[in-house]
This record gives sequence, C-alpha cells and structure tokens, in this order.
Amino acid sequence: MDGERLVETFVELADTLVDDFDVIDFLHMLVDRCVELLDVDAAGLLLADQRGRLQLIATSNEQARLLELFQLQNDEGPCLDAFATGTRVSHPDLAQGGRRWPRFTAAATEAGFGAVDAVPMRLRDEVIGALNLFRTRSGELDAAALRTATALVDIATIGLLQQRSIHHHQVLTEQLQTALNSRVTVEQAKGLVAERLHVDMDTAFTALRRYARGHNLKLSLVAHDVITGEINTPQLLNPPTGTGQLRR
Amino acid sequence: MARYTTGRLVQVGRWIAEKAAELDVPVSAATLCRAAVARLGVSGAVLTVDTSGWPEVGCATDVLGERLVELQVTVGEGPAVDIWRGGGPALIDDLDAPSSQARWPLFAPLAVEAGAAALFALPLCVGAIRVGVLSLYRLDAGHLDAATLTDSLAFAELALRLLLDEQANLNATGGDADDLPLHNPQVHQATGMVAAQLGLGMADAFAHLRARAFAEQVPLSGLAADVVARRRRFDRDGGRP
Repeated sequence: MDGERLVETFVELADTLVDDFDVIDFLHMLVDRCVELLDVDAAGLLLADQRGRLQLIATSNEQARLLELFQLQNDEGPCLDAFATGTRVSHPDLAQGGRRWPRFTAAATEAGFGAVDAVPMRLRDEVIGALNLFRTRSGELDAAALRTATALVDIATIGLLQQRSIHHHQVLTEQLQTALNSRVTVEQAKGLVAERLHVDMDTAFTALRRYARGHNLKLSLVAHDVITGEINTPQLLNPPTGTGQLRR
Repeated sequence: MARYTTGRLVQVGRWIAEKAAELDVPVSAATLCRAAVARLGVSGAVLTVDTSGWPEVGCATDVLGERLVELQVTVGEGPAVDIWRGGGPALIDDLDAPSSQARWPLFAPLAVEAGAAALFALPLCVGAIRVGVLSLYRLDAGHLDAATLTDSLAFAELALRLLLDEQANLNATGGDADDLPLHNPQVHQATGMVAAQLGLGMADAFAHLRARAFAEQVPLSGLAADVVARRRRFDRDGGRP
C-alpha cells in the first residue's frame, strides 16, 4: 500500500468533514479510495434503513451486476452477516462455492469476483451498516489493508454522525434518514438522465457526479435540481465555466 | 438508528385499525394521527400535505397542530418548511433552547408562545417525492426515547404508504407491508425514466408505475427491472412497446 497516498486520503477526508458536506458524495469518495488503497476491485457501503434492510449508499462502480450483488444481500451474503454479527466476514475463495450464501456466491462468481470481505460499521454498541469489498483474485485481504479498511469505515461512521446531541439515537436517525433519502433522489435523477441522454445508469451517475464536482455543488442538490428542472439535463455534459478548460 | 421490524410495523398498523374501529370510521390519515397521539405519549399530531408548494394541514388532532403549521407558513421557516426544502427529520427536544431559537428565530419563539415545547417532524418522502410531513408535538420539553422514536418512524412509514396509495388511486388496505419495495434502487431509477418518457414529475411518474403494476398484476420490482433494462417503455398513448 502506498503510505503517502494513505496519508493524503486521510487529510482529504478530514478536510471534507470540517466543511458543510454532502454525505453521499463523501461516502463515494471514501469507497473510491478503498478501491485505490486496498487493492480491491470494487467497494460499496451499505446502511441499514429504519426497517433493518441494507441499502446501498455509495459504490465505486454503478454497474448493474454489482448493484445486484448489493441488493441480494438483503437475503444472504457477507454484508448481511457482518451487519447481524458486528464482526468482519470474509470469503477468500468464492470459486470454492459456499453453503453459507449459495445465491450470493454464485452471483458474485458470475460477476467475475474471486473474494469478498465485509467490514461492519459500528457506533458504540450499534451496527449501522457495512463496507463490502470485492476482489477479482481470490485470497485473504492482507493485515495492513484490513486495518486501513477498518479505519476508513470508522471515518465513514464519524462522517455520518456529526455529534450534536447527547441523544445519539435521535441524531443518528436524522442523519441516516437524510442520507438514505438522498440516495433515493440520486437514483431518481439517474433514471431521468439515463432516459433523456440515452445512456446507462453508470454513465448517468458519472455525469451527475462530475457536474457536482465541477461546480462545487453537493451531489444530492444536483440530483434535486435535475429533477426540478433547474439544471437542464444536456447541461450535465458541459464543462464548468471559468475553470480554464480548453474546448476543442 | 431507531429501527423496527416488520412485525412492529404490523403492530402499529393494528393500532391504527383499532382506533378506526373504536371511532367507527375507515382508516385514514386522521385516524392514524389519533392513534399516534394515543400510543406515543405526545400531546398532538398533525399531518401536512403538499398541494400548493407550501405545507398545508391534512389533518390535525387539535388546534395547536393547526397553529404550528400556520405559523410556519406565515413566517416561512420551521421544521416542516425545512423538510419541504429537502431536509431530513427534525427532532427538537426543546423549542425554547438556544439552538432551536437560533435555527428558527421567527418560528421557535412563536411556537413556544403557542404552547408547544417539543416538536418531532418526520418527512414522508421517497427521494424527491415529498408527500407530506408527520409532526408530533408535546407541551413539555424532552426527547423521544428510543422505543417511542422507533414507533414514530413506523407511524410515519404507514402514513407515507397511505398517502402514496391515495396518489396512485390504490386501495392497499390489508395489503402486505412489503408490497411497496422502496428499498429497491431500480424502482427509483425506473421512476426517473418514466418521468422522462411521459414528461411527468416524479410523484406522478411513481404513481403511474405503481398503478400500471397493479393493473397488470405484476410486482412493482419486476416492472421496474424491465423499465431499467429498456425492455419496457411508457409512452404518452399507452404502455406497451
């Protein structure tokens, strides 16, 4: 693992936390860094909703097959187990199959993955979600990567819960419900953009995110403005003005 | 986070049905608010709905509930107004506390003057679809304990379902608590696609999608998957490709 890059990442994440930030965007940055730093091929962060169902909040890759793997874990899979037990769950060799999660293992193998890990997101005595890491190669995640993954997950939890009150269940409810609903807004906006621009969901998401970055706006706000029509969908493809980008 | 099981949701649904039976009226948003007051130890409940772009009283258990909404509309700020603008739940233990007064300098003192001390506003929404707000209030300051907060969220989910069913012209009473797969991202992606295909807002697109699934007797998740995979389009003159 690149130590310097790791330090940079923690600085970047800490910088985000002091500002007024968008939770969804912050968690996307976090899963992207997981892929980069931990030598994994895909990562996703799932939070439990008020009914205890795991909902995907951020992923390094929005391809349908990967999304299905996250969705499937409401029935079975490492994230569900990590969430239920509060401990790390791994399957270093998916090709060996597995009695524990037959459907998940089959789907993950078909999607080209060889190993999977799930790290619970814990806040005191409560588990609020899990980080899911996928690798195409089989084998155990090394100890250093695991420590980093745990630290990144802790940062995600801190980012979600900006402590403002002693009644932490109230604050947590406010933050989680807001984050979960923002994600739904992003999904609606993705559908709108995918249809209008004739692109797939992944491309639609990338366009929304790039626009948010380029204009220094929160992703959930961009999603909202696309839905209300304040941002015209074709505008999403335009580079931000005033950044000195050369247009051919 | 406060979290409830499907069993708890069914229990809360039963309380609402019991309240309706006791009053000899059909289950409605009004009976839901009455049941919430009876079960959650709050002094009142008010459900606001959106018809004009501003929160409007759908039903309130007493005049203070109506007053709290009226005040927010008058001064243009408050928990329900924040939710209308995209905010999340606002759980305010003490409206008289400096943090509450700083957050809503106009609304908070007026709410206290009107007699409210604690206010818990829960959004009823599906992404950008803002259906309403369920506000619970008390005459004494204090937080909601974890069990009460959990039940409050269950009341809010049932209120959301009730209002969504009205929007889609579906009468889902007695329906399975899981017949509305709001945790499935494809349902929301499909809503966005249908909104673009039919030139509708998200709320109407979602209602349209649900009504179509109901009419065709197919699960909403399946229809949504077909829309996302572009096996199915909605056109202004019909639904079949």
